[in-house]
Order: sequence, then C-alpha cells, then structure tokens
Amino acid sequence: MMAEAHQEAVGMTRREMLGTLGALGVAAAAGGAVSLAAAPAGAQTLGQNESVEAGLARVFGGRPLKDGASLIKLDVPLIAENGAVVPVAVEVNAPMTPQSYVKSIYVVADRNRIPIVTRVALSPEAGKAYMGANIRLGETGDVRAIVEQSDGTLWQIKREVKVTIGGCGG
Amino acid sequence: MSDIGKVRLRLPSSIKAGDVVQVRCLVIHPMERIERDKAGKIIDKKYNYIDQVVVTYLGKTVSTFDTTQSVSENPYFAFTLKATDPGTVTVTFHDTLGGKYEGTAQITFG
Repeated sequence: MMAEAHQEAVGMTRREMLGTLGALGVAAAAGGAVSLAAAPAGAQTLGQNESVEAGLARVFGGRPLKDGASLIKLDVPLIAENGAVVPVAVEVNAPMTPQSYVKSIYVVADRNRIPIVTRVALSPEAGKAYMGANIRLGETGDVRAIVEQSDGTLWQIKREVKVTIGGCGG
Repeated sequence: MSDIGKVRLRLPSSIKAGDVVQVRCLVIHPMERIERDKAGKIIDKKYNYIDQVVVTYLGKTVSTFDTTQSVSENPYFAFTLKATDPGTVTVTFHDTLGGKYEGTAQITFG
C-alpha cells in the first residue's frame, strides 16, 4: 500500500504529497479508534472509576474504620516530585499467628480516579505484616492504609502527599 | 516492549533459619492507564495491566496482591515471609490479557 502511494506521489508537488500522507494518517487513526471501541469492556472488580467514599463503601460496606495511628506505620514521601512512581510501604505492628493475624492491607489514594490502589491478602506465614509498592498519584491528596485483621477489625491511617507532577494522566 | 514480563526477585544476601525476610520484586510491564478521547470520555477497552500478584513459598500462598491501574508502570512490590526451610519463592504476575509472568528465587541458609 505504501509502495502505491509512493508511485502516485511521483509528479506531485511536495505540498500535495504531504496532504496525501496526512489523509492517510487520519484514516489510520480513525481505523484505530473503531477497533478500540469494538474491544470488550474491561470489567474491574477492585479498582473502579469512582469517588473514594463510594469505593470504601463498596469494599467495606460501611463498617467502621478505627484510628490505627498507634498500630500502623505508613511510609510515604511528604512530597512526591513524580506522581507516576511513589514508593509506599505499610508495616503493621501486630502479631502474625494463626489465631490472630493481619488478613489484608489496603492502600487507598483519595484523589485518584481509581482510589483503591491495591489489596494485599496475607497469611500467617508472612511472619510480619508488611507490604511495599510503587503507586501512581494523580494529584496532591491523602494516601490511606487500611488494615483488616483476621477478626474483622478495620484500622486506618492516612497521610497527605504533595504531588508536583501528576502521574495518572488520562 | 519485548521486555514485558521480565521479573526480578531479590532476597537478602544472608538468611538464617527462622528469619523474617523481606523480598523485593519487580516486573517490566506497561500497566496501561485509562485513556480518554477528545471529548474527555473514557475509552472503553480492555486495558492491559497486572491485576494479581501471587507469592508462594514451599507450595503455600504467602500473600496475594490484587492491584489496579493506580499502581505504577513496571511495578515494584515488597513483602515478607518467614524462612522456615530452604525452598523456592515463586512470584507470579497475572495481567488482564491473560499474561502470566513468573520469577523464582531460592532460599538457602548459609
């Protein structure tokens, strides 16, 4: 197809040729958009495009979140220069025995379009309730760590992170 | 992006029996973010991102990360496990397009 276009282009002025190429580009872009729309919709179960309140209500069903400042250590930078990569670490000062352990750790970024960032399900074999990850932050806002213990108690801690360049785009 | 799915796994250099060790892992993956068209409407398509990370040690699942698009490109995760016996730590990454990427490391006591 490109070879044909080149043959036709012989004898054209430069401006005409650029115009032709431009039209081809537009056609290609339109084709791309059509195929994208035809792709199946990705159904997300954990992360949805929603407000943080809606997300928490959906995941925790209105169960009370206790203040876990004495229990949870949330390690986030005060200022994130690049929102695309923000290191987060959560450590919970709680025993990890088969009777009582930390069942899951949630990381929630309040101002992200997809506020629930990750859910870590732990087992007592982990030895310590700890997780670390690199997350995206769209803009300055609170980052929360929510910890669920094996008896169902929920603890939460939050800290504000200032973001210089947002990382979520879109 | 032929590097997609390359997994790196790091253990502490010396491990003693019974230690709680921190394991760090990284996978090369684009973690596609939501795209919008000119009108600001979200393009509805199947985005390719990692939605599950499973850590197994001695055949048991130690931890499972369920992740969303709010996780960075080339995601890095850290976790702990209690090193009771020598054995293999396997980290498996699953993405939304059915891709499965695996990394392993050996726990030895020295």
